[in-house]
Amino acid sequence: MSFTFHAPTPRETAESSKGRRGEDMDIDEEFAQIQAKASMKDMAVHVVTPGEVITSDTAFMRGHGTYIEQEKVLSSLAGVVERVNKLISVKPLHTRYTGEIGDVVVGRITEVAQKRWKVDVSARSDAILMLSSVNLPGGVQRRKQESDELQMRNFFMEGDLVVAEVQAFFSDGAYSLHTRSLKYGKLRNGSFISVSPGLVQRCKSHFHSLACGVDVILGLNGYIWVSAHVPQSLDEIDTEQVYSNKNKEDITPVDREAIARVANCIRALAQETMFINDTIISFAYEASLQHKLKDMTKREVMQSIAQEATLAVENMKG
Amino acid sequence: MPSLISPAERDFILKGIECNIRADGRQRPDFREVILETGVVSQTSGSARVRIAGGTDILVSVKAEIGPVQVDPETGDGADKGQIICSVECAPSASQQFEGRGADDLNNELTQMMTRILSNTSATSSSASSAAGINLSKLCIIPGQQCWILYVDALVLDYGGNLMDAIFMGTRAAIFDTRIPKTEVQDLGDGQFEFEVLDDAEDTDIVDGREDMPICITLNKIGARHIVDASPLEELCTEAKLVVAVNRSGELCGLQKGQDGGIEPSLLLEMIQFGKTIGQSLIKQLDAMIKAEADSDLGKRQRGEPIHKLGFFAQ
Repeated sequence: MSFTFHAPTPRETAESSKGRRGEDMDIDEEFAQIQAKASMKDMAVHVVTPGEVITSDTAFMRGHGTYIEQEKVLSSLAGVVERVNKLISVKPLHTRYTGEIGDVVVGRITEVAQKRWKVDVSARSDAILMLSSVNLPGGVQRRKQESDELQMRNFFMEGDLVVAEVQAFFSDGAYSLHTRSLKYGKLRNGSFISVSPGLVQRCKSHFHSLACGVDVILGLNGYIWVSAHVPQSLDEIDTEQVYSNKNKEDITPVDREAIARVANCIRALAQETMFINDTIISFAYEASLQHKLKDMTKREVMQSIAQEATLAVENMKG
Repeated sequence: MPSLISPAERDFILKGIECNIRADGRQRPDFREVILETGVVSQTSGSARVRIAGGTDILVSVKAEIGPVQVDPETGDGADKGQIICSVECAPSASQQFEGRGADDLNNELTQMMTRILSNTSATSSSASSAAGINLSKLCIIPGQQCWILYVDALVLDYGGNLMDAIFMGTRAAIFDTRIPKTEVQDLGDGQFEFEVLDDAEDTDIVDGREDMPICITLNKIGARHIVDASPLEELCTEAKLVVAVNRSGELCGLQKGQDGGIEPSLLLEMIQFGKTIGQSLIKQLDAMIKAEADSDLGKRQRGEPIHKLGFFAQ
């Protein structure tokens, strides 16, 4: 057993990171930086707290995250002020998930209600999964019966994790989800990570099978599921098994290590506020192989993994 | 702080612990990294901010105030003793569950545990004048009248599992950071005393006996095994929780069992033994860290350099 104690480190400011990058730049970059400096005054980060006056100039218009009181523009959030011409808005430091129709999300069932489940998707209110928007065991075309309504807990119970798609919005802004495809449904054989919703990029696919034998589901709401690889061909899936709570029997220690490694890579990327997609996760995984698994919770190791992964992505783009 | 967990996750975590690979890659006896800074709140007599990588963030402050001594009406005890009063509060910003009255039970549990271990004179000490190793007689100013009261307040700013251990690490660091002003007592005759608090910032007292303060190790029994420094999801899988308080010489200073699962007697002994060893080595390294920071501050003070604390601007 060993313990690691650290003194805190100062936060990296926008300027200090600029200075570091400036060590080996060519003329083009230098020119770009001169240009950037010219507009530095606009770019200076202005952090505000709720109720703080952003400007008392009446010429400005009020955007998201602001309100007007006594002809002054005030912030309604804790965040960074953004200005586009005359429009002032505040971008919050911590965001909740704001979804769009068709988004793949991972959520946790919080409540079983009349003909519906409530699902935590890290949005402003719980999303709703209607009994009529799920596939029931025993054939897709089966009619819903009263008995189904009585045994809803046999399908999804409080605490269960599901992957679903945003189907529609309700009038109060809550999301309506559906799991009417065999790729959606209950999650098993793995572990759950939550990152900031802004970090997951919208991609063509959010279901990935990595080369290391690990499946990753990147929910657009920042909830991520990392699990052991389950071979998936749509014909083979047993519809009775969709709602099972049993993990598969043969998850080996090697699988577990790979899952933990991928999960830690995602945590490392999230900690360094980097976009998360399957490419960068694969690169981060490769970068992590030189470290021991149990060292991956250490801050330095996480930073180096995230940095190496970004470099690899930049190299790939050329 | 999630309050729910699915059966599949529970099974995955349980079997992972069985084969010594936890969800974040740690092994059963591994702690996460701890980030520690003392002297972050200038209005207090001593303070510390402890963070466990992965979420938990705790601010502990110690405030020394002058108050009347508390005498036990039956035994007449306590006339020549100072007091330590503990309180823990979970900020609603730490977790959705702590909003409104949601944190009351947890606050109570943590406060009670701290009070039992830190301010209970009979629980831990060989000599009756100390609580948790701290020499309470030294906190007394005028016997039977005035004494120093140390208010130890812990504020949970973020929740990422293992609150108890972090609170005790923070308390130890904050007590080590605490400086109490010196007092000068004048005897006016006929049992009348008067005292003056010296406001010399250079000439202050430390808390006597602080090295003997215990620290807590929380052991979570999951399946047939036990782990330390549980993450929030692991805490949800915990069947039984055992908090072992231990001081630097490895003496058991307190024991509390939580949650509704049982522990077999043989496993209980093993867990206590394990908590004692791990606690001792934790104290050793924590003290080294606290000392390093105190030494560097002292060096700066002697050289006349400003001491710059990062506080909440830290990463």
